[in-house]
Amino acid sequence: MLVTWRYRKRRSLIQSFDPRAWIIFYLCFMAAVISFWDVRVLAVLFAVALGVVFTSGIGWREMRRAWLFIGGFIVYFSLFTFLTGRGGVEFYTEEHVIRNLEASFTILGWRPVLHVTAERAFYALSMVVRVFSLASMTILIPYSFNPAQYGVTFRGLGVPDKIAYAMDLTMRFVPTYARDFQVTLDAQRARGYEIEKLRGGLVAQVRKLAPLIVPVTIQAIAGSEDIIDAMDLRAFGVRPRTWLEELHYRPRDRALMIFGAALLVFSLALAYFGFGSFWIPESLRSLPLL
Amino acid sequence: MMDRKLVNISLTLIVVFASFLLLVWVGGSVLNIERLQTGERPLLRFVFVAVGLVAAFGVYWVTRANKAWEVGTREVVYMAIGAALYAVFSYLFNGTVFLVPSVSQVALRPAIALPMFFGYAFGPVVGFFTGAMGNMVGDALTGFGLFPQWSVGNGLIGLIAGMAMLYPDKKKSMNNVLIIGAVLAGLATLFYLFTRSQAIPNTLFFNPDAGIFGDQPITLFAGLSAVIGFILVLVVRFAFANNIDFGAAVTWGMLGNLIGLGFAALSDIWINGYPPAVAIVGEFLPAAGPNLIFAAILVPILVAAYAALRRQTGR
Repeated sequence: MLVTWRYRKRRSLIQSFDPRAWIIFYLCFMAAVISFWDVRVLAVLFAVALGVVFTSGIGWREMRRAWLFIGGFIVYFSLFTFLTGRGGVEFYTEEHVIRNLEASFTILGWRPVLHVTAERAFYALSMVVRVFSLASMTILIPYSFNPAQYGVTFRGLGVPDKIAYAMDLTMRFVPTYARDFQVTLDAQRARGYEIEKLRGGLVAQVRKLAPLIVPVTIQAIAGSEDIIDAMDLRAFGVRPRTWLEELHYRPRDRALMIFGAALLVFSLALAYFGFGSFWIPESLRSLPLL
Repeated sequence: MMDRKLVNISLTLIVVFASFLLLVWVGGSVLNIERLQTGERPLLRFVFVAVGLVAAFGVYWVTRANKAWEVGTREVVYMAIGAALYAVFSYLFNGTVFLVPSVSQVALRPAIALPMFFGYAFGPVVGFFTGAMGNMVGDALTGFGLFPQWSVGNGLIGLIAGMAMLYPDKKKSMNNVLIIGAVLAGLATLFYLFTRSQAIPNTLFFNPDAGIFGDQPITLFAGLSAVIGFILVLVVRFAFANNIDFGAAVTWGMLGNLIGLGFAALSDIWINGYPPAVAIVGEFLPAAGPNLIFAAILVPILVAAYAALRRQTGR
C-alpha cells in the first residue's frame, strides 16, 4: 500500500502556481537568501517566506511536527554558536562587548565567563532568520505539490523521461518505506527485539540491525514486481512518454518565474557590490573591544 | 552521429548535476551551521561534482557496449526503490531518530550497505542513482545540509559496486579488486600511523550531549578501522569460497567505498581547505573504515536474502 505525503488541494497562494514555476522561484529565493548575511535584508526575505506560509492554508496541527523538529535544531545550533563564539569568525575580526557575564561559582578554580558581544548576537540572529526563511519555504513543499504531478514536473524541468519517472517513484516511495520500517520495527519488538539495547561489540551490533534492514529491503524488492508488471503492460519506455496530467504555464506562472529571476539577479548584484554582508548597528561599534 | 544511449546518459549526467545545484541551494541554509560550513569557495564544490560525473561517464564510455548499462523498466523501479530506501535508512540512523550508540567513535551507519547491494545486484546505473539521489534526499530530510561532492561520492560507491557486472570472470576480477583495495586501505592507514603524533581530530564524530563537535582526536580503533574492515572483507571472501556472490559483492562494494569516499574526502582539501592529513585521517578513515565493517556484515546478508527471494519466486 502506498502512503503519501500530506498533500491536499487547498486554496492557497503556493498552489495557485504551476509546480515548475514554483520550483524555479524557490531556487531563486534560496540563492537570494544565502547570498546575504545582513539581518535587515534577511528580514525582508523572511517576511516574504512568512507570507507564503500564512497563505498556504496548512493548519498548525498538520505542520507542527516538522516545525518543532526544524525549530529545535536551528535554535539549538544558534544558541550553541552564540555561547561558544565559534562560527562566524570569518565575518568579523574584532568583537565589541555588550556585557561579560561571570558565573557566581567556580569549577576547579575556573570561573566560566559568557562574553555577550554585538557580533556574536547579530551572527546568531542572522543565522536564525536565514535558516528559518529557507526552512519555511521547504516545509511547505510536500504539503503543496500534488504527488500525481511529480513526474511531469521533473520532466518539465528538462529531465529525461526515465530519470524523471525514477525521481517521481523515489519521492513516492519514501513515505511508504518509512511506514514499512515502523511496521517492521514493531513486529520485531513484539518478538523481543530491542533496538535501544544493542549489546556486544561493533560486529555484533551491526549484525543485530539486519532484522530491520533486510525485511524492509527484500519486501520492497518483492513488491516491485507488481509495479514493474504494471509499467510494462502500459509499454513503459517504449516510446517518448506522455503524462496523464499536463502542465501549462499561465501568465501568472511566467510572472512568478520572472520575479524569481529578477530577485536572484538583484541579490547577486547587491552581494557583488558588497551590500548585504554581515552587519551590526553602528551605535554598537563604540563599545569596548573584547 | 552520437548514438541515442550516449545522448541519454549525458543528459542524465547533466540532470544529476542540475539537481545537485538545486539541492545545494535548498540546503545551503543549514550549511552555515557551526562547523558544517561550506568554506569560502562554494564554486569548487560544483567543479568536483563535475569531476565525479565525468569520471562516472568515462567508465561508461569505455565499456558502453556492455549490457550492464541498459536501463529498462526494471532498472527504473529498482533505482527508485534503492534511492528511497537509502534515504529513509540514512535519515533514521543518523542519530536524529534513533540514538544508536557509537563504539569508540564509530557510529552505526548501516545504510551504506544499500548502494553497494543495489549496485551489485542491479547494475552500475541503479547503483549510482541509489547512492547519489538517496544521499541527497536523505540529507534533505535530516536538514544536516548538503554536500554535493559527497553525494557524487556515494553515487560512485554504487556505480563501482555495479561494475562487477562488466566482468564475465568474477573470480579473476575479484582478486584484482582485492589487491587494489588492499593497497588503498593500506596507504590510508600508513598515513594515519605516520601522523599519529599530531592527534588529528575525527571530523565526523559528533556527540552534542558530551559537547563533542568533530574535534576529538581520532581513536586508534577508528584509525585502524579500514584495516579491520579489509580483514573482514577477506574473511567473507574466503569463508564463503563456495558462494562467489558474497565475496564479489563485498569486494566490489569495498572498492566503491574506498574510491567514492576517497574522492569526496580528498576534494575537501580544496573545498574546505583541509590539510591533506585531516582529509585522509580525520575524514576518509572514519567514514570509509566503518563502512567497510558494516558492508562486510550486511551486504552478504542482503545478497543471501535476495538469492532466497529469487529462488522462491523463480526469477
